[in-house]
Amino acid sequence: MKAPPVSISCQDLTLRFPVYGVDAKSLKKHLAKITVGGKLARSHGATEVTALSNLNLELKAGDRLGLVGHNGSGKTTLLRALSGAYEPDEGTIEVQGHVAALLDLNLGIDPTATGFDNIRLRGRIAGLSSKEIDQRLPEIAEFSGLGAFLAMPVKTYSAGMQARLAFAAATAVEADVLLMDEWIAVGDADFQKIAHRRLLKLVERAGILVLASHDVELLRLYCNKVMRLEGGVASAVTPIKNLDELMAA
Amino acid sequence: MDTATHMLRTGRRGALFEVQMALRDLRASLQRIDLAWSLAWHDVVSRYRGSILGPLWITISMGVMVLGIGLLWGEVFRVSVHDFIPFVALGIVFFGTVTGTINEGCDTFVQAAGMLSQTSLPMFTFVWRTVFRNLINLGHHLVIVLAVLVYFGSWRTANYPVAAMGLIFLVLNAAWLSMLVAIVSARFRDIPQIVQSITQAAAIMTPVFWPPDRIPARYHLILDLNPFYHLLQAVRAPLMGLGVAPHTYLFLAGMAVVGWALTFSLFANTRRRIVHYL
Ligand SMILES: Nc1ncnc2c1ncn2[C@@H]1O[C@H](COP(=O)(O)OP(=O)(O)O)[C@@H](O)[C@H]1O
Ligand SMILES: [Mg+2]
Repeated sequence: MKAPPVSISCQDLTLRFPVYGVDAKSLKKHLAKITVGGKLARSHGATEVTALSNLNLELKAGDRLGLVGHNGSGKTTLLRALSGAYEPDEGTIEVQGHVAALLDLNLGIDPTATGFDNIRLRGRIAGLSSKEIDQRLPEIAEFSGLGAFLAMPVKTYSAGMQARLAFAAATAVEADVLLMDEWIAVGDADFQKIAHRRLLKLVERAGILVLASHDVELLRLYCNKVMRLEGGVASAVTPIKNLDELMAA
Repeated sequence: MDTATHMLRTGRRGALFEVQMALRDLRASLQRIDLAWSLAWHDVVSRYRGSILGPLWITISMGVMVLGIGLLWGEVFRVSVHDFIPFVALGIVFFGTVTGTINEGCDTFVQAAGMLSQTSLPMFTFVWRTVFRNLINLGHHLVIVLAVLVYFGSWRTANYPVAAMGLIFLVLNAAWLSMLVAIVSARFRDIPQIVQSITQAAAIMTPVFWPPDRIPARYHLILDLNPFYHLLQAVRAPLMGLGVAPHTYLFLAGMAVVGWALTFSLFANTRRRIVHYL
């Protein structure tokens, strides 16, 4: 049986966050003049933020979509929805293919466990068997460059070391759909270089990439299409060469 | 990477649909039940990595506690150590499994926030993780149970199949309680303290450290209506060679059915929201 081709399809996707313990009226007054963030509303007595509204998106193998937009425009929310973590309030999300989400590097890392244990944990969550993890462990360890530190609890790591570990563990698994948030600028210059090489390889392997970033150079490097989000409303998907017009609009 | 190669997420489509989605979550967690085991093992192993005795700590600290309480309180209640130590040992171990599963349930989703907000892993996986972690701890405590049974001779009269059945009732009920507090604690952050207070009160109200025959007959409702007493009795009595009252099973079966129905419908109604609570 041939697997269906890799694809992402969102139809009229609307996603709202309930906000608990907030007085919507006073919050609204404060936010009325600010252009960042989603739309605040009150329904059934609870305050809600509409983070994405009526978003339509069709991606197929080979598409590398860059997401741009102000802080709070819904980029991270869209990525989390595509990862399957957030359920839509309206509309549908359909994804064909293995999804790997590199959204928040430190989430899912257990600071009290050792580097090795964290790699194992991450691998199991990603669907690898213990045996497969053992096979990949040396390669991941080498890539992380952490050496003997891997046997120490992660809470003893510096921020850069934690980023190395998380990055090495998270990128060890092949995926059809790769979701990345704007954290890519982690670690020292050395690590930046090898991380970049690894990401390029990963992007080549992955059928679809969705990358949220403010970094124009980075977007040009990895993406062939862009979409702009503003207050949860998406622009049309356009080729990367229109990036400047899109940012200016 | 998720093992699911096809993912479809939709908005609300009525109560029945939400129940189906909740069932799908349950099914997915059972298909990957080995993941819950791995997570539970990770918790146990990483907690004790770097310590000399490793998870044996669980066993030793429990052994010391059983011995101390057994000797001291046996004296206080003027009952023979011969009867009292097995009683206290079984009580502490199995009661600890129940309260441990419930207390740690408060953290189930809160602790998993990172994974729940960037993967499509089933939520039930994390419920099983907490349950399994407590079963692994119980496995370590069984060393003490065995030692006590053998040393005090009740291993010959113990009814193991009935005790195993009791353990199933215990786990079934502890699991829904654990999931219930997991959901509620995700939404309301002061719930863990309340849960702790309740389990602490239960430890005093339940014959864990004191013999049930010490209670005057007119106060027997304290036992008959105490779910913790029935949970404990279903496992402890057969291991001590005693019978289990039929109404204990009735109570536990009813509690499991009602409890799971309640918890599952709460889950079906809040499933979409839980990740946003965190
Ligand atoms: N967990 C949350 N609870 C409530 N509101 C949230 C949550 N996460 C994001 N939001 C809101 O949703 C909107 C979009 O946020 P986000 O997707 O993080 O934006 P971006 O990644 O583009 O900066 C913002 O208004 C933000 O305040
Ligand atoms: Mg963001």
